[in-house]
Amino acid sequence: MKLPSHRNFLRRKLGEEMLLSLVVLAALALVPLFVSSPYWLGVLIVSMYFAMLSVGWNLLAGYAGQFSLAPAAFAMLGGYTTGLLAWHWSVPLAIGLPMSIVVPGLIGLVLGRIVLRLSGPYLALTTLSFAEIARLVVYNSIDFTRGDQGLNVPALVDSRVANYYLFLVALAAATLLVYAMLRAPIGRFLMAIRDDEVGAASRGVNVVRAKTIAFFVSCGICGFAGGLYGTFAQLVSPELGLIAQTGIVIAMVVIGGIGTLVGPLIGAVLVYVASEMLRDVGNVQMIVFALLVIVFARFFREGLWGLARNAFARRAPAASAPPSPAGQA
Amino acid sequence: MLALDLFVNGLIIGLFYALMAVGLTMIFGILKVVNFAHGEFYMIGAYTYTLVSLALGVPPWLALPAAALAGALLGWATERWLMRPLYAGYGSWGLMKDEYAVVVTFGLSLLLINLVDKVIGPYPMRGPSLSEVTRMSLGPFMISGQKLITAIVAIVLLVGLALFIRRSLWGRQVQAVAQNRLGASIAGIDTARASSIVFMASDVLAALAGALLAPVINPSPDVGIFPAVKSYVIVVIGGMGSIPGSIVASLLLGVLESFGAVYLSYDYRDTFGLVLLILVLLLRPQGLLGERVREV
Amino acid sequence: MNRAFRFAALLFTAGFAMPALAADPIVIGVSIAQSPPGSVVQGTQVRDGVEIMTKMINDQGGVMGRPLSILYEDDQGVPEKGRAAAEKLITRDKVVAVTGGHQSSVCLAAIEVAHRYQTPYVNTNCWSDDVRKKGYPEVFNPGNYNTRVSSAMAETIAALKVKSVVAFAENTDYGIGQAKLLEEFLKKAAPDTQYKYVALDRAGKDFTPAVLPLRANAPDLVVNIMLPPAAYILMNQLYEQGVAPSAKTWFYDGAGIADYPDFWDNVKEAGKNMLAFGLYHPKMPMPELGRQVGEAYQKQRGNEPNRLIFQAADSVLLIARAIEQAKSTEGAKIIEALRNIEFEGTRGKFSFSKEPGYTFQQWVDIPYVTYQLTEVNQPLSQTTLIQVPGEPLHIDRIQKPSN
Repeated sequence: MKLPSHRNFLRRKLGEEMLLSLVVLAALALVPLFVSSPYWLGVLIVSMYFAMLSVGWNLLAGYAGQFSLAPAAFAMLGGYTTGLLAWHWSVPLAIGLPMSIVVPGLIGLVLGRIVLRLSGPYLALTTLSFAEIARLVVYNSIDFTRGDQGLNVPALVDSRVANYYLFLVALAAATLLVYAMLRAPIGRFLMAIRDDEVGAASRGVNVVRAKTIAFFVSCGICGFAGGLYGTFAQLVSPELGLIAQTGIVIAMVVIGGIGTLVGPLIGAVLVYVASEMLRDVGNVQMIVFALLVIVFARFFREGLWGLARNAFARRAPAASAPPSPAGQA
Repeated sequence: MLALDLFVNGLIIGLFYALMAVGLTMIFGILKVVNFAHGEFYMIGAYTYTLVSLALGVPPWLALPAAALAGALLGWATERWLMRPLYAGYGSWGLMKDEYAVVVTFGLSLLLINLVDKVIGPYPMRGPSLSEVTRMSLGPFMISGQKLITAIVAIVLLVGLALFIRRSLWGRQVQAVAQNRLGASIAGIDTARASSIVFMASDVLAALAGALLAPVINPSPDVGIFPAVKSYVIVVIGGMGSIPGSIVASLLLGVLESFGAVYLSYDYRDTFGLVLLILVLLLRPQGLLGERVREV
Repeated sequence: MNRAFRFAALLFTAGFAMPALAADPIVIGVSIAQSPPGSVVQGTQVRDGVEIMTKMINDQGGVMGRPLSILYEDDQGVPEKGRAAAEKLITRDKVVAVTGGHQSSVCLAAIEVAHRYQTPYVNTNCWSDDVRKKGYPEVFNPGNYNTRVSSAMAETIAALKVKSVVAFAENTDYGIGQAKLLEEFLKKAAPDTQYKYVALDRAGKDFTPAVLPLRANAPDLVVNIMLPPAAYILMNQLYEQGVAPSAKTWFYDGAGIADYPDFWDNVKEAGKNMLAFGLYHPKMPMPELGRQVGEAYQKQRGNEPNRLIFQAADSVLLIARAIEQAKSTEGAKIIEALRNIEFEGTRGKFSFSKEPGYTFQQWVDIPYVTYQLTEVNQPLSQTTLIQVPGEPLHIDRIQKPSN
């Protein structure tokens, strides 16, 4: 029995993207062999932090169509979960770090339930308010969280290189998790919800369950990124949850290619590394990226990955074209 | 009496919120999208006012119209180049036009903040006051000259806007387009121009709000983010697309925050509005004075 | 004479042997706030002080024959950025020492980095006692500390014999730290005086809800533990509502803002009759070096100098002297030199205490003054001095506002 043509096409597309993601991850793995400066390794570690946020947000917004404005807030919550557990109750990182997945994941689940029936601007505004409430609560609860001054978090590993590989492994795990989800039925349900929620529901997709899972996984990934970042910087602060940080994540995903597996990876690394390199040339990096976001949103929805693929497809049309409807039964 | 002081203080703050919120709700009414760069128009207004009066030596009263002009130009440009695709073919985003609006206006916000940061510098500036009277008695209340003047100007602007929408020809065209875009265009109304007018009016109000508050807020590139978040809250509470709703919600929020800060919690006073927002979205999504929208 | 000759001979041979090395600058990293929410005014003053001293040192031949060069980073007054700035300066730019810190929360984040890389850190103006209490050997504190301020303010408040005090503190390590210390010291100095503090957001633009209750229920004295621009907003709103300074309520500033260049521009009448804790006053005794730095600043900016200028200048000078004493730019040797140094700076002579706690590696007897502003736009030299180092408090010199 032949598999339906569209599923085949999706699987092939995902497969391509996963392959390229693995290439990117492998390239990152080789970097410490050539670069020993702790400064640049640090820059890449932070880009991997953003890459994880991008992967998490892309799952929710790019694949499930839930345009949440709260990824940075969840990273902050994850970082503070680990930090507060260690600070107040001396909970070791072996428990504290996994909690940075679970706690934000559960909070995300609740948020997902709240915004279940909302869409478009209402969804965006609700998640934005939630993000701001979270940040303000952390900021103002000075006795509990030390507020603006930030919270010290113990380090997990000591050397910069060890931290680097730790982040890389986490990023790879997050990407593989999303890939696995997308290949499974849940992935297709989410994409169906994104494209036409009413239609999907009418075909029997359990919209509530699918959205809930998407929120849990996405927020869990973001939270974990925050927890790891805390152990790297040994400091978490309400800064992590600023809306501006979410803006940077959105920019990275849009530039890389929203709704693709590899887009968040290349977007995050490119944007962050380039911004560090451009730092010396007069700090214009954010202006450039903002312009890129606008241009890409306006003209190139598929992002850099999409542009690359199209350029490639023009040279080898047979390999990457979807099967034509006439050819299958 | 403390309660009376708090009430009046809340109303005054509510007036400033209203200047920002009204424009945002109008944009939603006519384009059905949220403008996430709204705070930056406020920021540009504050900067224009400050720079024009400081650098060019223009008296503050003349710098106000300069800020309004800047707002109008920026609004026109944004609508023309970034917002047109929303109703003239949806660009390359297909069905996800809401998401397009979010991303594009976010990008615009980032761009404006960083442009100003780069070109003018991140140092906070001090806008000149419209009045040198630092305090005066108004019955049982004490108020500064600046606050009084800005409150009066705000009332004039809001009333002016309401009259414009209700009575003028263009205003009524805007109402028509907000109610039914297709129908309005069939009736011969230039919907693109109506959208343009709305965007410009919205930005003029935001820019003037920034200019009026410049002496207090010390304009810096990121000064618009916080007022913008407040506006989003107000717009939903009041009912997206409803101007009277926004005004009522603004005043309500101002008073709520004022009382809440003293009687509930000073630290968390900014969260009251946000919590109220979530409650409204769950219980009465159309807001106080909005209409229940039926989507197909 | 001998020394000069040897120095010249050294230069001569060095010039032949290693021409590149002689011109190789010694780089010091300075992390300051140059954008909000940090206090940009403070950051700019620190920068000015650093520049003046660097120029003076370089005009006299630099350090060990090498010119001094400064690398600035903007930490925005935010701990996360302070951490990133320190990381960058130490790991990428390889500075010999980091200094310039003027906001306590940022210092606390930066010293962790300095400690990790064992780089010397000279705390220019972070007052929080916690910076000292950590006991990091890399951290040296030639500036003021919260305990000093709180004990001085408690003394003055006790002398004023007021019954109720309300303090407004910014929600940072510095603000909350000082507010709590003031509470402790007041309990001892004036046990019958009621005290409470309110934490305010330093990024806030409107404090009227916090001020209005005071209008209904006015305390005898309001303390300011906030930095500009929030401090100016608070002062203006307190004045607008008729709370302080007024016939019923004193206004006492513990953040040292009266000598900021933009103080009078921002507060106008609200500053009249304000009591101030200060670390610099033109009538204070000062060493010659201090006078030179002060004059250089006056010529450059047209304003009277303030303590930040001198503290910043001293920070740079300390590092320079330590390098000369250790005859090396290696971190560990600089730290060792600073531990035992007998330093003569712009504000006086001192060495760092070795006592643990809030006095660790701190200039303990840092001089301070208390004074009152009596007219709008009053220059510092005309303010009424109530307390000078070495003399008791002259509380009788204070005048009460009439309205």
